[in-house]
Amino acid sequence: MPVYTFRIQRNWTTEQGKLESHYRDYSLEVSATTTVLLALEEIRSSQDGTLTFRQSCRSAICGSCAMKISGRTRLACKTHVGDVARDGVVELAPMANQPVIKDLVVDIGPFYRKVHKIKPYLEDGPEQAHTLDKSAYDQVNHVTQCIMCGCCYSDCTMLEVSKEFVGPAALAKAFRVVADPREGQKTMRLRDLSEPSMMWSCSRCAMCVESCPKDVKPMEAIVKLRTRGMAKGFVDGPGAKHALAFHQDIQKWGDLNEFTLLQRTVGILGAVAELGTAWHLLKKGKIPSPFPHKAEGVEELRRIYQLLEEHPIDVETKAKEVVPE
Amino acid sequence: MRNHDLVIIGAGLAGMRAALEGVKAGIDVAIISKIHPLRSHSCAAQGGINAAINPKDSRESHAFDTVKGADYIGDEDAIQLMCQEAPEAILEMDRMGTPFSRLEGGLIAQRPFGGASFDRTCYAADRTGQVLLHTLWEQLVKAGVHVYEECSVFRLVTHTDGHVAGAVVYDIKTGEVFPVAGKAVLMATGGYGRVFFSNTNATTCTGDGMALALRAGAPLADMEFVQFHPTGLLTTGVLVTEGARGEGGYLINANGDRFMSKYAPKKLELASRDVVSRAEQTEIMEGRGKNGAVFLDLRHLGAEKILERLPQIRQLSIDLEGVDPIHHPIPIRPTAHYSMGGIRTDKFGASPLPGLFSAGEAACVSVHGANRLGGNSLLDTIVFGKITGQHASQYVKTQSQRDFPVSELVEVKGRIGTLKRGKGMRAPELLERMSRALNLHCGVFRNPEGMQEMVNQLPGLRQEYERVSVQDQSEVFNIDLIRAWELGNLLDLAECIARGALARQESRGAHSRTDFPNRDDQNWRRHTISHWNANQGVVTLSYEDVRTLGLPEYEPMVRSY
Repeated sequence: MPVYTFRIQRNWTTEQGKLESHYRDYSLEVSATTTVLLALEEIRSSQDGTLTFRQSCRSAICGSCAMKISGRTRLACKTHVGDVARDGVVELAPMANQPVIKDLVVDIGPFYRKVHKIKPYLEDGPEQAHTLDKSAYDQVNHVTQCIMCGCCYSDCTMLEVSKEFVGPAALAKAFRVVADPREGQKTMRLRDLSEPSMMWSCSRCAMCVESCPKDVKPMEAIVKLRTRGMAKGFVDGPGAKHALAFHQDIQKWGDLNEFTLLQRTVGILGAVAELGTAWHLLKKGKIPSPFPHKAEGVEELRRIYQLLEEHPIDVETKAKEVVPE
Repeated sequence: MRNHDLVIIGAGLAGMRAALEGVKAGIDVAIISKIHPLRSHSCAAQGGINAAINPKDSRESHAFDTVKGADYIGDEDAIQLMCQEAPEAILEMDRMGTPFSRLEGGLIAQRPFGGASFDRTCYAADRTGQVLLHTLWEQLVKAGVHVYEECSVFRLVTHTDGHVAGAVVYDIKTGEVFPVAGKAVLMATGGYGRVFFSNTNATTCTGDGMALALRAGAPLADMEFVQFHPTGLLTTGVLVTEGARGEGGYLINANGDRFMSKYAPKKLELASRDVVSRAEQTEIMEGRGKNGAVFLDLRHLGAEKILERLPQIRQLSIDLEGVDPIHHPIPIRPTAHYSMGGIRTDKFGASPLPGLFSAGEAACVSVHGANRLGGNSLLDTIVFGKITGQHASQYVKTQSQRDFPVSELVEVKGRIGTLKRGKGMRAPELLERMSRALNLHCGVFRNPEGMQEMVNQLPGLRQEYERVSVQDQSEVFNIDLIRAWELGNLLDLAECIARGALARQESRGAHSRTDFPNRDDQNWRRHTISHWNANQGVVTLSYEDVRTLGLPEYEPMVRSY
């Protein structure tokens, strides 16, 4: 069996309350198909009892053992050592975007407080359906696969720059509720989700889709929330305005008019506030032309739009139909 | 001092379901859990939850199947109550938000499960436990129930009058030890699968609640009855749902033969779990296995059905065993899975220890008797979580808070100090020694020499435990210490299992002896009760009659499938 080096970030709080951190290497002989969790357990049992990490079910359903494994957040219990080792080294660190408590353990409090913020439960109300058919949960099923492990939250690029963002898991949960026929407050929820730091703060980088171990596709849930929110008339925020401006430009010109896009997104006052940036861009010759550019074949594009409006497709599933489970 | 009317220990399905009843009753209820509620092992239940919701089915038929499945040692009043309440319990979960799989027309879908005479197992694909757990957690958040998260209970405390007074809690996050007083305590801490070396359970399933109750003076019942699940993955023991056989999966041996026709000609793969596990073990022992495994063959179901109905199972087989069930059979073996025994309670979840209640796998109500039917454990948690929650909530309204003896706090702190100073073997090594012995001597088949050997080893294991060492000396998130503490609980439970098994001179349900291969209703149709003898530091046994209803259809008969 090959010998792997596990380069593990050790974290501890000093008596002065300061977080100290360093990497320590552990060697272990295991097969390439051993899970990282089993390897960690072996290291803790046979080499170092102070090595600390969370774990419970061993079968990718409880969500305890999310950690940074060779740069990406994954569940240790379903990750094979051989798949993540680089030159025989597996690098382990705690999840990002959350305060570290010790070694690979983070404080899950802030993550859950954000999930609580979207009111993660069905509510009674006027929009509640009282009968269900076989397809009632077609939209809900894939989001209920979420185990709240926090992988998406840890890898979210928006959270790196905006601590207020509610995060992909909370929004996937919000979609789980909004898309449930039994939910009675769909419109009120979509209104709340249109507030700052909620669904419009996602940059759609798709990192959450990549890192989700349960194939929940949070970003696609976010896109669907936005579509539903706009359909309910919540179009006053910068996110929705931006999307509408994009939509109008593409439909009309087949290309963006970036010169006026900012003003249409954040309004005239907002655009004035960005004059400094504009000056900076101007100096570098990066200010786009104020005159709209009409793309070639825009008529064809309009026909595509027309076709899509007549026959809407489900963005979440790409090509495959949702399988009712 | 922190105090509540009702203190629930454990935040799985039973604990959370009970807490919601506390909220409804208007009492102050709190939950203490050593892991976040969503990490609870209830989430790993895959296949489904039984209820007679189809008009062609009946609650009586469900009760009969359960009495028979339990091999006539389940308490019939409790079984009737559970099957009676099952449909409403499911519909409640449905209303709270569980996305059960549906049929055309919107009815809840049901699949066949082992030992059942009707297709009565409701499900949500192959992650029924997970969606139920998330549903109850949603309601818990909605109700604003206080949860002491990542807090382990180190002692169940009684007042001098013998009534429960609360619990001593160890906060894993900070190392703080503090009392939580309560007028009643409800144990919903689940099972003890980790006591066996090969098991389907989470690492956190260490039977803490049972051991705490035992040490506080509450009796445990039927601890020798341990369910070995027929389909644990060979390498890790991780569970493959019975739903895989419910959907039509075959069991084959190394020669490719469907061997169940020899052991259960009518029900084949869907015989009761004890029957299937023994059949597999026999095949393996007689040389028709491969590397200690037989195989679960799903290939004939086709890719589409596997992907639709068993997507999680397929992924687990790929992740943990390197086998894609669409193309290859999955190597499996019988693996310790569920504890039929637990804290002895009446059908309302009350234990003989005043102020102590229990529900779910931690309890022995007893609805599962000597062998639990698949799909009845989730049901047990939902139904008895609710009933016990209701009764405990009414009970605390009649009680005053007993004084909390501070000496208990001091003792626990002293014990932690002793553990941290230990100079002996480390806990993982000692656990391995104990759990391997238990697997060997108290497994699917049990012989008298083996069981005696296990009982003989116990004093030595306890001695070794007195010196157990903990490398991590820190206060914050000291999992090394937690593991050492849990090992103490597991040792107590191992003793209950081994002594109970050695004493029971018959074969019944999951307890299968080579020297007494038959059931003996004359002498052994009764519950084994384990007590902690604090003076001698050993477990002692007594016996209790099964609560029967005298119905002719519940008279014991030969159990064939």
